[in-house]
Amino acid sequence: ADKPVLKFSSVVSENDIRAEAFNMLAEKLSDDFEIQNYFGATLVPQGSELTAIQRGTLEMGIIPPQDIANQAPEWSIVTAAYLFADTDHMLDVMAGEVGQELDQIAADKLGLKILGPVYFGTRQVNLKPEKQIMTPEDLKGMTIRMPGGDAWQFLGEAIGANPTPLAYSEVYTGLQTGAIDGQDNPLPNDYNMKFYEVTNQIVLTNHLIGFDLLTLKLDIWNEMTPEQQDRFQTAANEIIDWSTQKHLAREEELVQFFKDEGLAVYEPDRAAFRDYAQAKYLASDFAESWIPGMLDKINATAGN
Amino acid sequence: MSPEFSLAVAIIVGAAIIGLPIGHAMIVASLTYLFVSGMDMGIAAEQMLRGLYGSYVLLAIPLFIFAADLMNIGSLSDRLLGFCRALVGRFRGGLGHVNVFSSLIFSGMSGSAIADAVGMGRIIINLMLRDGKYPAAYAGAITAASAIIGPIIPPSIPMVLYALVSDTSIGFLFLAGVVPGLILGLLLMLMNAFLARRYDFPTEDPVPLNALPKITLRAVPALLMPVILLVGIYGGVTTPTEAAALAALYAFVVSAVFYRSITLRDTWRTIRSSARSTASVGILIAGALVFNYVITVEQVPAAIRGALAGYDLSAWQFLLMVNAVLLVLGCLIEANAILLVITPILIPTALALGVDPVHFGVIVVVNTMIGLTTPPYGLLLFVVSSITKSPVAQTIRYLMPFLGIMIVGLGIITFVPGLVLWLPRLYGYGN
Amino acid sequence: MTFRNRALRIYTTVAEAVPALLLSAMFLSFILQVFMRYVIGQPVGWTVEVCAIAWIWIILWGQSVSARDEDEIRFDIVYSAVGAGTRRVFRILAALLLITVYLIAFGDSWSYVSFMKIEDTSYLDIPYNYVFAIFLVFLAVSILRYALIAVQELRGVIAPPANTSLPEDTPE
Ligand code: NA
Ligand code: NA
Repeated sequence: ADKPVLKFSSVVSENDIRAEAFNMLAEKLSDDFEIQNYFGATLVPQGSELTAIQRGTLEMGIIPPQDIANQAPEWSIVTAAYLFADTDHMLDVMAGEVGQELDQIAADKLGLKILGPVYFGTRQVNLKPEKQIMTPEDLKGMTIRMPGGDAWQFLGEAIGANPTPLAYSEVYTGLQTGAIDGQDNPLPNDYNMKFYEVTNQIVLTNHLIGFDLLTLKLDIWNEMTPEQQDRFQTAANEIIDWSTQKHLAREEELVQFFKDEGLAVYEPDRAAFRDYAQAKYLASDFAESWIPGMLDKINATAGN
Repeated sequence: MSPEFSLAVAIIVGAAIIGLPIGHAMIVASLTYLFVSGMDMGIAAEQMLRGLYGSYVLLAIPLFIFAADLMNIGSLSDRLLGFCRALVGRFRGGLGHVNVFSSLIFSGMSGSAIADAVGMGRIIINLMLRDGKYPAAYAGAITAASAIIGPIIPPSIPMVLYALVSDTSIGFLFLAGVVPGLILGLLLMLMNAFLARRYDFPTEDPVPLNALPKITLRAVPALLMPVILLVGIYGGVTTPTEAAALAALYAFVVSAVFYRSITLRDTWRTIRSSARSTASVGILIAGALVFNYVITVEQVPAAIRGALAGYDLSAWQFLLMVNAVLLVLGCLIEANAILLVITPILIPTALALGVDPVHFGVIVVVNTMIGLTTPPYGLLLFVVSSITKSPVAQTIRYLMPFLGIMIVGLGIITFVPGLVLWLPRLYGYGN
Repeated sequence: MTFRNRALRIYTTVAEAVPALLLSAMFLSFILQVFMRYVIGQPVGWTVEVCAIAWIWIILWGQSVSARDEDEIRFDIVYSAVGAGTRRVFRILAALLLITVYLIAFGDSWSYVSFMKIEDTSYLDIPYNYVFAIFLVFLAVSILRYALIAVQELRGVIAPPANTSLPEDTPE
């Protein structure tokens, strides 16, 4: 019999580490399913993966937590600046009790099976002006491009900057001409988009651990045998782990690369940034939708 | 190719032949494809609406249309016309030269060929048609041909897309586009001079030299427009997309406040007509977004990858083949789709054969831009035909010689890499 | 002036005013966006959303409710070369094709648009089903428009040639 086809749409480009990982996933599961990978948001426009899965025109996707939070506001907690100390902390939390609670919400409210967080780098501030940045106050008055949407713009405010939305493809020229002072992205993105050609420094703020969620339509998951589910989850864990390690290694080597390119790359006073951002988030509307006690649980996981 | 896909292609061709507007034809064909494949027809709505909603750079199109319309109803374009006549009108086909030359200037501020055609192109077309001295379709053809220079000379949206998929420096890519852009401009002017002689286009009455200072002074507000936009973009005031709004504001302020040459009533009429033009152009983009879904689901790119793998090519054979394939695809597929979907398939082979990635990027971008003017699916072709209100077939007839000379230009760009890479190397590329 | 003419005039005025107002909104939003970022140094984000919504509505409203035959872009190599009788047959066939396909697609499109109430726009918090409802207007009005064209052709009203050179804006 024909294997069920799973159309998998992602925004990552064909030469991305994650594209390689998703091809590995298709390979590993090829006995049970025919996973068709579409890269570069060619199948589904960026931002509509969630509704496409819900409507049944797409079976798999990687979805930013910000998009999930649109429909399930409880998820907005993982979009907050400085929630996670580092990548390990994020992985621990998402694999633990908090992650299970959030996954259950995604299953009940949105009909999604969350297979795991796909890490793509830690967001850092990348600036054209040469002024040294140690605290959020130093970013005051600087126009920083953040992705469109109020959750993203608030992230910019939470690190003390003046956020402005701008198309990703226009960021390079915006930096070149000075229309914007800077932008925030993980180091691999700074490299891929050549932002280092037109900027002078990278402030290692570590303000957000960037990840998308590898998701499958829940109905398909529920129709699998327990053995199939087990194989699926194991394969997903393997490729997520492989991709995460690759990204961490890449980030480490890129610090040296950017230094060699003549950029100043340094750590600011992260404690000052963390205090400033957490106060902003707790006073915002976003925090109202967080599940009581979840923040404490996440903080308690730190350092494990 | 599945029977469903063949049916969709047949419907586009058939519907277009019997005169269904192109935008509707693409939507109708895509909907039919979804229907006969047993898929959710709501996908068409999703692709169109989410695609239009999310493509921020397209928002420049309505405002460049609006800016050009304001220039036309005010006295700005008259002043520009007077200046151009005085300067190059004495040559045969003078306004054709002006058309190409203005595209070269404006390519420095616009990263999109469509924006050039609907913005600057629209203004020059009106100048060329005002006295009935040029066939409307000729004005449209030379506008379409010169508009493709816009994204070859920096800034350039297509080059940004190529850099994204190819891991190449945007800065060096931008530099690499300068010489090819100038070469194409020169070739188009040569062709215009040749055709002007052949069709016996008019020369304008020579303007006495002592009148030149006054005419120049009168044209200063219009001539300042590109300067203001360049300062706006390179001075960091606006993004390339926002520059369109600045252009419209400038045209409005100069015409309405400074010269008092337009009234509120004129302005409202202009806004209405700009909105109508926006809709005519926009529905083509909407249709293309929907049809691209069909192409993606049909895995057309994978089929091309498979076809290419079967040959054992040398570098120059490969480049020749790439040019042929992209020119053919440019007749059928939208430019962004070629850049984002087809190019990644070709890059590994190019690198393996020792083709320089920056050079390859320029070849690909020039190809896709030429593709904007080739029938049956050539967005620029439709856009200029709608501006000149002349039949597409007429435009194609006048476009053919320009297409020919651009393909010659493409050949030079492809097989003389030194020309393309000269400027980037001057600034340290590959050192 | 007959009642019919008066009604037609009111329809035309309203039909054209909507995209014109939306374009004005786009223009002002862009100017405000630049002003707030460059002059005031307090960038705003909602302007992009206004522009994106206006852009969709200008296109889909403009190509259905306020569309004029001469504004439509055709690939008219054959269409403009055939005689009046053949062109009449072409126009009837084209209209029937469009009407059939858009009618079949209406249900699924409705279901997509109404499903989108599940999400709101980011800044203005408008449910997407309202933003996207213009697609249903586009389908419905296009069906009506082409039905009218088919009826006119069947009753023998002569079709205008392709892309006729009507004045830029008919006088009021
Ligand atoms: Na350009
Ligand atoms: Na031009």
